[in-house]
Amino acid sequence: MAQMWITMGPQHPMTHGLWTLRVKVDGETVVDTEAELGYIHRGVEKICEARDFTQITPYCDRLCYVSAMTWANSYIYAAEDLLEADVPERAEYIRLISAEIQRLASHLMWLGAFGPDIGNLTLMTWCMRDREMFLDLLQELGGSRMHYNYPRIGGVKRDMPIGFADRVIAKTKLFEKRLDEYEMMLDESTIWLVRLQGVGYANAESMVDAGVSGPNVRAAGVNYDVRWAHPYSVYDEIDWEPSVEKPTSVKGADCYDRYRVRMEEMRQSCRMVLDALNKIPGGRNTNYANGDEMIYTKAPTRAPEGATGFSNYECTRGASQFYVQGGGESRGKNPYRVSIRSPMFVTIPYVAKTMIGYKIADIPAIMGSFDPCIGETDR
Amino acid sequence: MVGSITPEQNASAADACMAAINGRFGGSGIETSVHNHSNAKKYAFVRIVCPPQHWLALAKWMKYDLGVNYCSMVTGTHFPEGSPERGWEVAYHFLRQPVQDQKPNTCTVHDVERLSGMDIPMEFEVFMPLPQGDSPSVPSIQSIWVGADWNEKETWDLVGIKFEGHVNMHRVLNPNDSPEGFHPLQKQHKLRYHDHNEMYDDPQGFMRKPADEGRVK
Repeated sequence: MAQMWITMGPQHPMTHGLWTLRVKVDGETVVDTEAELGYIHRGVEKICEARDFTQITPYCDRLCYVSAMTWANSYIYAAEDLLEADVPERAEYIRLISAEIQRLASHLMWLGAFGPDIGNLTLMTWCMRDREMFLDLLQELGGSRMHYNYPRIGGVKRDMPIGFADRVIAKTKLFEKRLDEYEMMLDESTIWLVRLQGVGYANAESMVDAGVSGPNVRAAGVNYDVRWAHPYSVYDEIDWEPSVEKPTSVKGADCYDRYRVRMEEMRQSCRMVLDALNKIPGGRNTNYANGDEMIYTKAPTRAPEGATGFSNYECTRGASQFYVQGGGESRGKNPYRVSIRSPMFVTIPYVAKTMIGYKIADIPAIMGSFDPCIGETDR
Repeated sequence: MVGSITPEQNASAADACMAAINGRFGGSGIETSVHNHSNAKKYAFVRIVCPPQHWLALAKWMKYDLGVNYCSMVTGTHFPEGSPERGWEVAYHFLRQPVQDQKPNTCTVHDVERLSGMDIPMEFEVFMPLPQGDSPSVPSIQSIWVGADWNEKETWDLVGIKFEGHVNMHRVLNPNDSPEGFHPLQKQHKLRYHDHNEMYDDPQGFMRKPADEGRVK
């Protein structure tokens, strides 16, 4: 049969954003692929050069609109490396709690978008219902529903409101029960298993070589996680285990393993949040004033010339990294260069190549199982 | 509880990596040092300053003998007002991750506090200063780490650093029909500065251009 190129995207349900996948097909079989990115490139790195260190945080929120808190935190750690800021321990706990709540919300968004890809529309409504609980919690902290601008260089913007901890505990415990319901619905669903099992194999070493990270690699059987390998925040004091799956084939993890690893990761996030609320210094039901030394330490605003800051952060889709260069006196409070490394920018071209050999109908399952986000990819 | 890499493990691994690089490449102009981050847990990492002519040899050795299996970022920076020998700089960030392929139905759960030798995760930072000029170029490491492929494409696209030997170089974030030689992160492209008054009086910016001559950041 004659081979031909077909174009999926930029408007296609599979893309989960704006990008184009060009697929060369032989009948129903994919024989070659090409990814085209850049549709929503906003030039964030260039904009950051004209902003103060503190003004950059809101732009980092907008890098990924489903995982704003983790991206802002990621930038904050790089800026703290550059400016040599100290952070109170209570602020580190609050950052951990907010980042893990964001991880729950982000994974729910992923599951909710992945379900309709596979043909399970119920999942969308269930996930949106539960994600709303966590967005409400984050709104209490940051004041906004999606773009919080919450962490600060040297601490956090404000303390947890009174009663926040009780609401977190109630909602997290409710969600742990609902996760069981999700698994009852999905793990025994024939459609779910047929569409996901044995599709989209990717093995650990090839993924690491291509720059893929986070849950996608843990699905292939290794519990490597930035949170223990390059520890930041207070993950070393909290009770948790990295989620890891046992892939069923020598070819590595399939779509089903990647679904399972994220379900397990949501359980671990619940566990971390509950444990952190028990261990937080200063108590979980106290509310310190804005700028109190328990939650904020004033940081220098100017970076010395030649200084650099780097952060390696376990974002919801993998390791996000920031590299910030200070510019000395002539640049004032602005950085000289901000470089952003998004885990999805290298993952999408890799995933496009793993589709070769599968059918066109498998493309949404494979792409969705890697959890693409185009906001952070294009920056 | 999984435990985390301890400061002792981290420091010993960083020192071992520095000693290994110095033992192999000492005296060739490659400078290696161990630094500590100033954020969070203040863990140590290895910083290498490498002249471009030694980069391919060092990169291959790092990948195959030092176990550096993860290329995380490639950053180009333009220093038009820098010294003659540092008009551009390419910074690479690498990670060493203890990740191997698994047999079916098995998984590796690292006992973190017992990790030793080459299994300890480590971070590497490689700086490559390039002289002033219009055509900065470094050798491509696309064939060594697949992960460097799209990072190099992006660095050429945005900063304009040429990667010698890179196959299939093309625009990734800028439009495909961007003019040749247009690389927006070079410093001659200025961002126009405007305060809020100007924004509200003239949201489209038609009147602004002459007024903000010299007011660029």
